Formats: sequence, C-alpha cells, structure tokens
Amino acid sequence: MAIAAGCAISSAEEPKFESQIRPILREYCLDCHGATETHEGSLDLRLVRLMVQGGDSGPALVAGNPDASLILQRIESDDMPPGTLKVSEEKKKLLRAWIESGAPTNRPEPETIGPGIPLTDAERAYWAYRPVAKPSTEIQIDGDRIRNGIDQVLAQAMPQGLRFSPDAPREALVRRVFLDLIGLPPSDEQFQHWMQLAESNWYEQLVDSLLQSPHYGERWARHWLDAVGYADSDGATLADAERPWAWRYRDYVIASLNQDKPIDRFILEQLAGDELAGPKQGDWTPTQIELLTATGFLRMTADGTASGDNSQEARNKTIADTLQVIGSTLLGSSLNCAQCHDHRYDPLSHEDYFALRAVLAPALDPVAWKTPSERLVSLITQAEVELSSKIEMEAQAISAQRATKEAEFIKNALDKELMKFEEPLRTMLRSAYESPVDKRTEEQKMLLDKHPSVNISPGVLYQYLPEAAEELKKFDATIAETRAKKPAETFLQALSEPPGHLPVTKLLHRGDLNQPTREISPGKLSVLVDETSNKHFNDDDPSLPTSGRRLAFAKWLTQTDPPNPLFVRAMVNRVWMHHFGKAIVATPGDFGKLGSPPTHPQLLDWLALDWIEHGWSFKHLHRRILLSTAYRQSSNRNPTGGSIDPDNRFYGRRDLQRIDAEVLRDSVLALSGELKPELFGAPIPLQEDEAGQVRLDPAQPRRSLYAKWRRTQPVALLQAFDAPVMGVLCESRPSSTVAPQSLMMMNNEFLLEQSEKIAKRVISQSGASNTGASNSESAPQAASGWQLPTAPASPWRYGTGTLHKETGKVEGFSAFSQQTQGRSHPGVQVPDATTGWVFLTESGGHPGNPAYPAIRRWIAPESGTVEISGSLSHGSQNGDGVIGSVSSKLGQAGSWRIQAGSVSTAVANLAVEAGDAIDLVLECGQQETSDSFTWTVKITLNPMASQPGEPARNSIVFESAIGFRLQQEDTSALGRQIIAAWKHILHRFPADQELAVLSRFVPAQLELLYREPQRLSSGSTPTSQVLTNICHMLLNSNEFLYVD
Amino acid sequence: MTDSMHDDELWMPQRRRWLQQIGMGIGAIALELMLAQEAARGQPPVIKDKPHRDLHPRATHFEPKAKAMISLFQHGGPSHMDLTDPKPELTKFHGTEYQGDVGFSFVNQASKKLLGSPFAFAPRGNCGTELSELLPHTSGVIDDICLIRSMHTGNNGHEVSIRYFHGGIPGILGRPTLGSWLTYALGSESQDLPAYMVLSDPGGHPVDGVTNWSNGFMPALFQGTVLRPKEPRIFNLQPPPHLAGQMQQQNLELLHEINRQHTVHHPDEPELNARMATYELAARMQLAATDALDISKETQATLNLYGIDDPESREYGTRCLLARRLIERGVRFVQLFHSGQPWDHHDSIQKNLPAICRKTDKPVAGLVADLKQRGLLDSTLVHWGGEIGRLPVTQDHGSPDRAGRDHNGQGFSIWLSGGGIKGGMAFGKTDEFGHKAVEQLVTPNDFQATVMHLFGLDHTKVSFPYNNTQQSITSSRPARVVRELLA
Repeated sequence: MAIAAGCAISSAEEPKFESQIRPILREYCLDCHGATETHEGSLDLRLVRLMVQGGDSGPALVAGNPDASLILQRIESDDMPPGTLKVSEEKKKLLRAWIESGAPTNRPEPETIGPGIPLTDAERAYWAYRPVAKPSTEIQIDGDRIRNGIDQVLAQAMPQGLRFSPDAPREALVRRVFLDLIGLPPSDEQFQHWMQLAESNWYEQLVDSLLQSPHYGERWARHWLDAVGYADSDGATLADAERPWAWRYRDYVIASLNQDKPIDRFILEQLAGDELAGPKQGDWTPTQIELLTATGFLRMTADGTASGDNSQEARNKTIADTLQVIGSTLLGSSLNCAQCHDHRYDPLSHEDYFALRAVLAPALDPVAWKTPSERLVSLITQAEVELSSKIEMEAQAISAQRATKEAEFIKNALDKELMKFEEPLRTMLRSAYESPVDKRTEEQKMLLDKHPSVNISPGVLYQYLPEAAEELKKFDATIAETRAKKPAETFLQALSEPPGHLPVTKLLHRGDLNQPTREISPGKLSVLVDETSNKHFNDDDPSLPTSGRRLAFAKWLTQTDPPNPLFVRAMVNRVWMHHFGKAIVATPGDFGKLGSPPTHPQLLDWLALDWIEHGWSFKHLHRRILLSTAYRQSSNRNPTGGSIDPDNRFYGRRDLQRIDAEVLRDSVLALSGELKPELFGAPIPLQEDEAGQVRLDPAQPRRSLYAKWRRTQPVALLQAFDAPVMGVLCESRPSSTVAPQSLMMMNNEFLLEQSEKIAKRVISQSGASNTGASNSESAPQAASGWQLPTAPASPWRYGTGTLHKETGKVEGFSAFSQQTQGRSHPGVQVPDATTGWVFLTESGGHPGNPAYPAIRRWIAPESGTVEISGSLSHGSQNGDGVIGSVSSKLGQAGSWRIQAGSVSTAVANLAVEAGDAIDLVLECGQQETSDSFTWTVKITLNPMASQPGEPARNSIVFESAIGFRLQQEDTSALGRQIIAAWKHILHRFPADQELAVLSRFVPAQLELLYREPQRLSSGSTPTSQVLTNICHMLLNSNEFLYVD
Repeated sequence: MTDSMHDDELWMPQRRRWLQQIGMGIGAIALELMLAQEAARGQPPVIKDKPHRDLHPRATHFEPKAKAMISLFQHGGPSHMDLTDPKPELTKFHGTEYQGDVGFSFVNQASKKLLGSPFAFAPRGNCGTELSELLPHTSGVIDDICLIRSMHTGNNGHEVSIRYFHGGIPGILGRPTLGSWLTYALGSESQDLPAYMVLSDPGGHPVDGVTNWSNGFMPALFQGTVLRPKEPRIFNLQPPPHLAGQMQQQNLELLHEINRQHTVHHPDEPELNARMATYELAARMQLAATDALDISKETQATLNLYGIDDPESREYGTRCLLARRLIERGVRFVQLFHSGQPWDHHDSIQKNLPAICRKTDKPVAGLVADLKQRGLLDSTLVHWGGEIGRLPVTQDHGSPDRAGRDHNGQGFSIWLSGGGIKGGMAFGKTDEFGHKAVEQLVTPNDFQATVMHLFGLDHTKVSFPYNNTQQSITSSRPARVVRELLA
C-alpha cells in the first residue's frame, strides 16, 4: 500500500519507462510482444527505441505525441490487450503522460537485447538484491548495554519502551555458550572452572576457549551439513545404496571450521576444489586431497544413477537438486522454481537457471554422465602400489614354494599308492598319470578310470597324506598373512571435469529434456548484474586445463568489492539463525517474495560488512555475535517486554531454545561418561532395536554427527527431535513439541540405559557410603543440611521369640539389633552368651539354643490370602537336625523336621489382614550343634479387592532372600547422591521445594521397590534404582531440554 | 477493521525502520504517509492478538454437522472415466482423434487417440448414480454418497494439485494442511489421543512425503501424528515392565514437580507448558492408544465388512477400521495414504486399475456402512478422492494392452459421505469425453470451504498470522461453500 502510494506521488514528476511504464507493459502486453522469441505482429515493446521502430502496422510510438502513438490508441480503445483484462484508466493516463513528456528513459537503452523481458527497477530494488550497505548512523558503543554494532542496530529498531534484558546469570551463560559453540555440556570440572574464574573478562575467555576446542568444528559442521544435504547414501532409488566415502567430506568440513578457514576460501574449495587442485602428478598431494574432498559438496544430492536408475531423467534430477542446494544455501533463492519457466514471483528467469546449470555442465554433464562409483577418486599412492606389488611378489614366491611342496607330496603319495600295484601295471599307471590330461590316450584314460585310487589330486591329497595337508595349510596361512600387509585402497568422492570438456547447455522448454531450445552460456543471475555489464563467466583461461566456470562462479559469489549481496546475506543469516534459534530472514533458503522479509535488514548488512572486514573469519563472526548484549541477555520474560513484544521479535530478551537432536544424545552420553570424544572417521553403523526402531550401534558411543545418515533409515531418537530426514537439503530445522518425543524420552531403551549409567557414575564419584567428606564447595543451607527421611519399613523382620507349643503362635518376638557380614543377630558377637548361635542370613542361618529359635517374620502390607512355597535344607549328619514351622495368628500352618536333607515347605491359602505377621520359625532339636540351615521362601500375596465387586488385583510376590538383601541396603548415601545427580546434570543444587518433593518421592519409591522387588532391573539395588529414576527424570526435565 | 489493516498495525515499527534504512525517494514519501497514519490513530503501535497454541475444544461459528473427518486420499489420480464418470461418447469414438486441446505431462508418449473405458457402468442403488464394475462395494453404499464429478484444479501435475488440496494454494509448500486447520480451529475432543492422525502405508510415504500432513507455518501441535503401518504402531508407547504402572507414575509426578519449579523462572513460556502437556498426553496415550489400536475384540462380521478376511484388502481394511476406532475415541481428523501413487495409471490401465480397486473398494465401502450402522455417519465426514483425474486420450506405449492415461486436473471425481452431506446424489459434469469439468465446477478451495462449513466454520474467519498477513486455508482465493451438497 505504501509503495503504491509512493508511485502515485512521484508520478507528479515525469514518469520514466523503466520504473513506471515497463511494469504496465509487462502486466498487459509483453507476453505477446516481448517475452517470446518471436513477437506478435513483429512488434517488440521491450525497449522504447523498438517501439518507435514498430512492427507490421508501423511505428507504435511517437515520442511527445500521444495521439499519434498507435500503442496508446489501441490501449485506450480497449482494443488491446485482447480478452477480458483491460488496462485501468489510471494506467492509461500514466502512459499518455509519459508519451507526452517525450517517452523518457532513466538511462540510455542497451545496444542489443537478448531474449526475455528486462528486469524492472522495482525488481532490482527488492531488498535482497540491493547492494550491501553500511548503516547510516555511526556505531556508538556505550560500554553498558550497547556492546557492539549488533546491539546498536537492534536497539534502534526496538519499539518504544522496550530494552535489552540484563545479562543472564553466569551459570546460564556457561551452559549456553558450551551448547551453542561445541554442542556438549560443560563437564563438572569445566563448569566449576568457569564459575570460579575471577578475572573480569571470564566471558571473553570462555568464548575464545570454546572457539579453540576441536568440538567447535563438529558442532558447526553439522549446521553446514544440513544446508548442503549431507547423506551417507545415494537415495533416489528404493535401494538407497550406501555412499561409503561421503564421510571424508564431513571430516573436511569439521577440519576447515576448526582451522577457521575464511568463507571465501571455504566456498571456493567446495565449488571448484578440483579446478584449484590441478592434475595429478605422481601421487595426490595432501593439499590436492583436501581440495578434491571439498568438492564433495557438489556430490551430496541424491543420485541413483549407480543403483538402478541411470536414465536421463534421473541424471537431470541430480543436477536440478544440486542447483537447488546452490540456490538455497549460497544464494538464498528458490532457484529451482525457474527450472521450467521464469520464476513466478522473483526476477529469476528460466534463462538464469540454465546459465547456472551451464556452470556445472562440464562436470555434471547429463550426456557424458559418470555414476557415483565412477566419480570415486582412489587415494592409493605410487609407493603403496609398489609396496603392494612387492608384497604380491613375496606372496607369489611363497605360493611357488607351496606348489613345489605340493607336487612333492603328490609324488610321494603316488609312489606309495603305486606300490600297491604289480608291474607292468604300475609303470603303465604311472605313465598314464604323468601324461598331461589332454594328451592321454584312450587306453590311459580307461586305465585310470579302472583304478581311481591313482587319481591323486591336490583336493584329495589329505586322504593319502594327512600330515601333508597340514603343512600346506601353513603355507596358505602365510600367503594370506603376507597379502594382508598390502595397504588398503581408499577413496574419496569428488566432482571434477575432464580437461577441455565444454558441453553445450541448452534451455529446456518447460524443463522438459525432450524440448531443448537455444544455447545458454554460463552466467550470473541477471538481477545481480546491471543491464550494461557482461553477465557471462569466461571459460577460456588458458592457464586452466578445466573450464574454470565453477571457479569463476565461486569467485563471483565471494567477491568483496562489492560483495555479492545474496551470498553474504544468506551466510550471515544462517550463522545468526544457529546462534539465536531464529533467523533474521525466517526463510534462510528463500529471500524472494515467497519468503519472509528480514526482521532487521540493517543488521544483516552490518554483520556482513564486519565479517568481510575481518577476513571472512567464521570465528570472528561468532565472537562478534556472542559478545553482544543481545546474545548475553537473560531469557526470563519481564512484564514490560512481554506486553510490548510478547513474541520477542525485537530481541528484548533471549529466546529459550530446545536443544537439537544431536546435542540431546551427545549430552546424555557425556553425562554418563560413555561419550568417545575422538574426531573424524567412518560413520557409526546403524542397527534396529527389538521393536524395529533404528538406533546407532551402542558399541560406538561417538557424537551423533558421526552417525550414518542414511536417507531411508533415519535414527529414531534423532529424527524424533527434528534431525532432518535428508531429501535435498534442510534449510532450517523446526523445533517440534509432540507426544512421541515424550514417549521416546520416557520409554526408549537408550534413555533408560544411559540413566542407569549416569546414576552409577554419580554413585562412584560421590562415594557409595556416608563416610566420605561431603563436597567441599559450599552448598546452600537447605541442600547441605538435607537428610532424606528414613527408608520405609520393609515387610521382613529378623529376630527370635517363643513358639507356643499349644497355640502354635509366636510369643515375645524380639528383633535382632545387629547387622554384620550379611548376618542379622541379637548380640555384639555370635555366639551370644544368652541366645547362643542364633543368626539369620539372606538364605538361611542358624538357630540358637532351644529357647531362642531363629525367626524370619513377614508382615502383610495388605489384606488377602497368602501362599507360601519354599525349601528347607539341613546339611549335617551330626547333631539332631532342625524343625521349621510356619505360624500365623491362626496358629501353626505347617511344620517340618529335617536332618541332612531337604524338604518342601508349602502352605496354601492362609488368610491375612494388613499388619498380620507370618513367622518362619526354625528351632534346633535337643541341642544346637551342627544346625546350619538354608530356608528360602516365596510368599505370594493375593490382595483382596478393595471394594466388593471390583476386579481382583495382581498378586504380589515377596522373596525372603531379596527381602533380606534389601534390608541390608545402606540408604545413608542416597541423599548425597541425589544432590550430586542434580549438580552433575543441571549444574546446581536442588531448590528447597525440590528437596521437599524428594522427601516424599524417595521413601514412596523405596517402599514400592521393597514391596515389588521384581521391579529391580538386574544388578540394581533399590537405592540405585531410585537414583536411576531420578537421573532419568532430570534428563526429561525442561531445564535439561532447553537452553536458558 | 480488516485483517490487512490490523496487520499494518502489527508490523508498523519494523516497516517504518526498513523504509528509513532504504532512505530512497519512494521510501521517504511512503514513510511520511505512514507517519501521518500513525499520528491520525494517535497511539503507539502494539503487537497483539497471538494465535493460540493449544488443543482446547473451541466454539464454532455456527451449528456444525460434522464433528470428525476421515479422509481416504487416493494419490495418483483415479481414472474417473473408468470408475465414476461414464462417457458413452468416449466409448463411441474410441480410437479416433480427439479434437480438443490437451495438455500432456508425458509428451514423449502423448497421443490424441481417444481411449474408451473397457469397464462396464450401471446405475447403482436407489439413486441410480452410475458407477463402474470395478467398484461393486462402493456401489452398495452409493445412496449414502455424494459424488462430485466436476472437480477442477486446473493443474495436471501431482504435487501442484496435492498441495492445492492439502494447503489451499497450488504447488506451494510450507502451508498447514486441512487437518491442521481443523484441529487449530476446533481443538481436540480427545484428551488422550492426538487430534490429527495419519495412517501410513507399509510400502512407504505417499508422493510429496511428509508435506501431506505438514503443519506448515503453524506450531507442531497441529501436525498430523503418523501411526506406523505395522506393530508397534507407535514406537516407545510402553515402558519396560519394571517401570510400568506405579513406578513410572511416581517418576512423572517427580518430573512434573521439577518442571513446575523451573517455570517459576520462566512463567508464561508457552513452549515449556506445551512440553509439559506432551508428557501428560504421552502418559494418557499409553493407555488410550493401546486400547484404540487393538482390533482383537472386533467381531468377525465387522472384520469381514472391511475386507480384513481377504489378503488383498486386509491391510487397507485394517487401517479403515482403525480410522473408525480413532474417530470413536474423539480424534478429529484421520487421513489414510497409500505408498507412492497407486492410481497413477500411465501404463496398462486395464490391468492395473482393477488391482488397486480390489485393495480399496471393500474397505472403503465397509467403513461407510459401519459408520452408518453405529450411528456415526451423521457426524463423521468421509472423503474419498485423489488430487487429479486422467485424460480421455491414450498414453501410448506401443501396444493396446499397455495403453494408459496421462494426468488431468481439468476435470475429475471425488466423493463425500456423511457429516451433513446429502447422500445419493451426483453433482457437476465433465464434457462428453470427461476431459474438462464443464458444469458446476468445484475447486479444492471450494472443497475446503465446504468441509469447513460442515464443521460449523467460516473458512475466511479461521486465520493464522504469517508473513505479514492473516492466512486462511483458502488464502483469499475464490472459494464457495457448495451448498447444493448439503443435506
């Protein structure tokens, strides 16, 4: 609306052809009189002088004389354009005024005009194509909130009343910068270090130190790999064949970022590394290898031509996809829309598309096509080839020895075998055998047929001379060993073009391969070249054996004087997006009309120029952004900012960001201590878990970046958290919040296993018992003084008492007070002066003197019926055996006397009410010597329905041995371990409210585990299980999943 | 105040600065105008009116007929002149040259030889709508179906028309789909299942992949949740036994408390609240989804109705039955897809068309019949159709038995049933050869407007801010509620 109003007002001056008239003609006339290669009525309205020249009906325009101008007559009379759409009165007036004023143009018209419609000024003036410009106001650093140009540009754009939030607290900044720059959380030591560093420039030091970390390259390589469509498979066909050497390109990206390769060089290498590398002379040099590896960029898109579909269409698709990546990532343009016709909304013509296609044509030639396997470059060196042939010669020498030996063995075997025959048959057989197979006479053949045992061949030699076979096997092993020493041949995938190969690129009508039209030269996007300049790339540099087209294209992209506005803005926008979770142009792959407008166009330009000024250094750009207030501010919402700008479009606070899929997995592995930090190498293989879900091989806990990114087998965990399933490329990742993610976090085996490992790590680092001194660092009052409430009561008791002979009930039960060495007993020592030898263990024990039986008591947690199974054994022939009894408030339910043997102690259907005791009483006979026993019992409680008519509830099983083990559990360290888990995962102490919640959670869960010990996974104890669950929930917490 | 004015206001500060930065003639003048407008309004610009990001049930604009929708999308372009739109003239002139203009996608195999349908048509049901012999089961429920024979996308390409149907603009990516709009406008009736579910094919994604159920520029909450085509239909739905039940419940209570503590520092952060809600939904899904996906208690008669007893239709029938079970449990929008585009019969149509009909005809008809017998059809809208139809002329592969038909977005058929749609009617016409829709044209935008209307919604009023404008599914394109179809 505003723009239209502007037009109307400036038309008070005289209208100009390029800015006001051509758009009208474009809308109504040029489809027939300009756009096509031949023009209706031979009339071409694209230039004023062509209008004056006119067509079949004579001149169309007489400057200064509207009434004599045929074009105006035809339009004013609505004779033209044909059809229902007519030119509005307003526009007719504009046309008349223009002709009246002498039909002026803004500038001299070009001498020649190629096919197609010239661009209008309005199209060229669109923000994305305008030259990158310095901000109009000087940057004024105020040393407080305006720390650099970023802050100034943002602050200027803020609505009234909005301002930056205060800097985030130090702990939040430490985690923020770690996750942003290296994608890994700080270790406990690193966290402490950065929290305690006293220098005032600790933040700058933190940023610099992480930019120097080799993990920086890994984290930021992944962003780039999204943008280039990295995949470890060829895609395009159902086979989705593996791309076994793609990872070298991934490693190239990591290494380039780590060495802070300037972006101009980085892009030059990726687009034209082969042209820079030059031909192979002798071995590939390390530099050449690096340059060739870089061209993997142009080999990332799906390509099924080696895996089943090598049709013209398939080749064409691969080229089109490559152009789409170039358009989206390097030019921020939806170039692919111009494959079939001029872009409908942006000034990107059909011809522009093919001009860029011509840039790739020498290397990606659909006629002289090479499949992915044919494009592999072998890295074997001359020395390796020589070494191989030397080794092969050694192997052959051994082989020859073996052959000699074998012949010798066969001869021996034959001699021996022939001894079984009498002469002259013996000599005849020998002579037949020794004749070459094809020279044998019929007679000889018959002879050998008749005596098959003489036909000794290498394959059957072992039947004659077993020891010979053994000796020959030793030769085979030596030969294999020798050959194994040959250097393995490895490859890289690269794009290169044959010298002097300049295929003709033709414009394809409607993008149809079967409709090639005119020839197109390699060239730049027209909208970035002014009408009078040459838009074509030269491809005849005699110093280059290759066409030089890609090199020229790359140089055009990365030129600095003036910078290519699309390229530099696209790059800066991308870097900003990864730091802030939102881009300045929300559609990083499309700066055109269908994309989003920039929220802060001036910021884009300021960053771009600052970047170029600092030598295109990525690390400079990161540092610039990270040191700004905009980056460092707090993510907390505040009421003022919230009412002015609730969606934070103006950066009045930092946005909370969910961590990326890779950061999630890598952080979990880092916390468990499993993460293998080695850089580079072949990808981590994929597996399917029991449910059929794709996961990474757990034996290779490396960073997710090194996953095998197969197009048809996305890793479930990564995919759930928005890692791309690679089609062509991933412009930007969504950040979704859906229930399947929660199910993944709650139930997936990876999270469960890692939680257990984190818990183990916390236990081993914080000490398993309560004796170790607590962490020296100062904990808040509440956390340091926090005592977990005592663990809940186990249903099991251990003690002694009297089994009443008549009632069969236990009287005077007295619990043992001592626990030592897996035994529960009454006195300080066993035996005890009063009670004698009485004690109980996990599986049995020993009775005391006749007055003090060993009693294992179980107290029913709920009402119901009980079934008891068990086995009582007594080992010794000496003494007089033992008596085991089961007793409840109903009296004795069973009794078994046993000596040197074993007996089943089953009791069925015993009714209990909650709180009732069932006693397993073990008495000695007359005397207590030699009365060690084992008595393991399983009590199955079938709880009563809590309401009449309700369905029966599941039975609960109590095993005496597990119950004893649980009782032995030392829970004294659990409180400290929980605090350590909080520190380890969230880098802070639990808050008071959290401690209060834990004080309820822990006893409740321990009780559940005591009651249902089958819930313990193998190798875990109730306290370790509780800690595992707590770690698991901390990994699920928003605090972990989001970056402040 | 119109939407566009509102939007001006929304973006005023930014645009003003942008114009300042350009600092050029046009911009300067426009800036003056804008400043004058601001002064006239006499208030500082304020950004307001955020779209909601939850699935609470919401009021409709007027009384709805439909509460849920099952869309049986038939990728590839079912051949209407062989299935739903009899053309005696085409049969009569079979083998002769077609006189009209035809746009071809496969120019290399293009011919203008008319191809009469090899399949017999007959009037069906009480209404007498003619269907071909390939659809015997659909014929059985024709009295509950409203057949639209005058669909028109104007584009022959697959993706262009697919995106038109789902997102409202031909060919444009990145827009929310019909299911997103419906769940955005209406929320969810189910507290424990996603509102928008997609039942995918064991063979893989349909053409255009995940775009078919994309939330576009809306929050992911409004994206279709995909059920796997085989067990386990939802991964990670259940914890291992030792965690199941009480222990996981205790854990999630602890998690909730930790998260609640965290929100003290981040109050009113919609994303954090949404994340907490997904845990609650996940816990409820564990119970609800397990139940919804268990068809073991369905009777044999029901299974047979859907063709689950027949190997050819078993898989699609199972998904149709699951669709009913999800709708019964309050899911708003269920969409079934095929792998690839099984209706794209460029080649050997006489052989290949019957095969896909055998896979789908019985399940589809069974679904309509089953919904009706359970009293669900009145409130459930069923949609069957592809994105385009096919041409009346031959796509030539050298021999008659390999003849096929190329794409046709100028005229084709889809059908609707239930949810306030008039049954037993056929609407609209294509020309005598079935090439172009000629009477009562229905575009995908008309289809969307009509679907929204059945749900009690004015399609122009359900809007979402994006790219400086209030977007709607029909995106200010011409769209009419086709009232002739309403019961």
